Amino acid sequence: MENRDEAPPGGVTEQVNDGAPDTEVVARVLGGDGEAFGILIRRYEPGLLRFATRMLGNPDAAADAVAESLVRAYRHLAQCRDPGRLRSWLYRITGNRCRSHLARRHMNDISLSDAPPLADGSDAWAVLERSEQVALVERALAALPAEKREAFVLKHVEGMSYEEMAAVTGARIPTLKMRVHRAREALLAALEEVVR
Amino acid sequence: MSPIDPRLQEALDGERDPGDLPADLREAHALLIAATQILTATPPVSVAARVMAEIREHPAPVQSESLVRRLIHWLGRPRAVTVRLRPVWTLALAAGLATVLLLPWALNGGGPTPGVAQGIANFVGHFPGARSVEVVGSFNDWSRGVLHLSDNDGDGIWHAKAVLPAGQHEYMFVVDGERWVPDPLAGRYVDDGFGAGQQNSLLIVRPVSAQP
Repeated sequence: MENRDEAPPGGVTEQVNDGAPDTEVVARVLGGDGEAFGILIRRYEPGLLRFATRMLGNPDAAADAVAESLVRAYRHLAQCRDPGRLRSWLYRITGNRCRSHLARRHMNDISLSDAPPLADGSDAWAVLERSEQVALVERALAALPAEKREAFVLKHVEGMSYEEMAAVTGARIPTLKMRVHRAREALLAALEEVVR
Repeated sequence: MSPIDPRLQEALDGERDPGDLPADLREAHALLIAATQILTATPPVSVAARVMAEIREHPAPVQSESLVRRLIHWLGRPRAVTVRLRPVWTLALAAGLATVLLLPWALNGGGPTPGVAQGIANFVGHFPGARSVEVVGSFNDWSRGVLHLSDNDGDGIWHAKAVLPAGQHEYMFVVDGERWVPDPLAGRYVDDGFGAGQQNSLLIVRPVSAQP
């Protein structure tokens, strides 16, 4: 990966609000003010990075996917048919890019041996070290099929409605609900196996 | 992996108060919520500088105006101009201009004139009740306000002709300024490249030199 910059101290906060609604910022960019695209980056980059990281299981690959997606979004901004729903459009491009990455390498390639050893089965969730909790959850998420992982992350990590998820993924709402339900079942089974 | 109790699914979907769940389901609910909270941590990186550098290095303003387009806009902008002519000269000038401007147009059948490596594209769409229809596509940087269709007789069939470079072009109709629809008569479509299975219409323009 190239040129990955460190975020400001304390991390990037969610949903930077530079005042102007997306439609106005998009109009500025399309009018030739390329620098205004920075507003959109600051506004949506944290969520896109989080989404891509959860999809790909690798921060470097996620940063690459998000950077490529944002450049692509800039170049094709005029094709955004509803700038009022820019967030869905950006997630769709990023999701598409993540799927391309995943098609080139299987999620199973992610090394699980890097995860710290898990506590004894008799231990409860609360007594697990934070790093162990993170490793456990990430491993359980990575074990999900990509479609279910995507649905779970959009719903529970990005906090989207099923309507917005449908706009992002192109899948129907009942299908998405089913994917989320199945993902919850798989995650819960994986977590309970350890903490009970 | 066993199915989750529907009440737990409802609570996770925000359709039920988790406090109303039995103790075992409340515990499972808390476990899943704790897991999602772990996943909501934002990665401490930023690609903003990298993306902006790429944009600045290869500026491809999506809808930036070319010199020609700026000139057209400048010419199209209303300005106060005062011209004082004698009536006889005014009539003569108008007749001369009409001859110069209309003769080639009439000889050509009233349509746009393509160059050697260009062809004429006919856009036709049936949009009854529409207030406006325009075409955006790869040939005009997907810019709105450039190529409008007209429906002079109000029968809902909208037309436009345009001279385009020979080759393959992707396009869409924009109806009433907000609804993007593919051309149902295009016959060929390509994925728009942004996932979600949306498609652009595909148009192949043949050069006039290749036409019989």
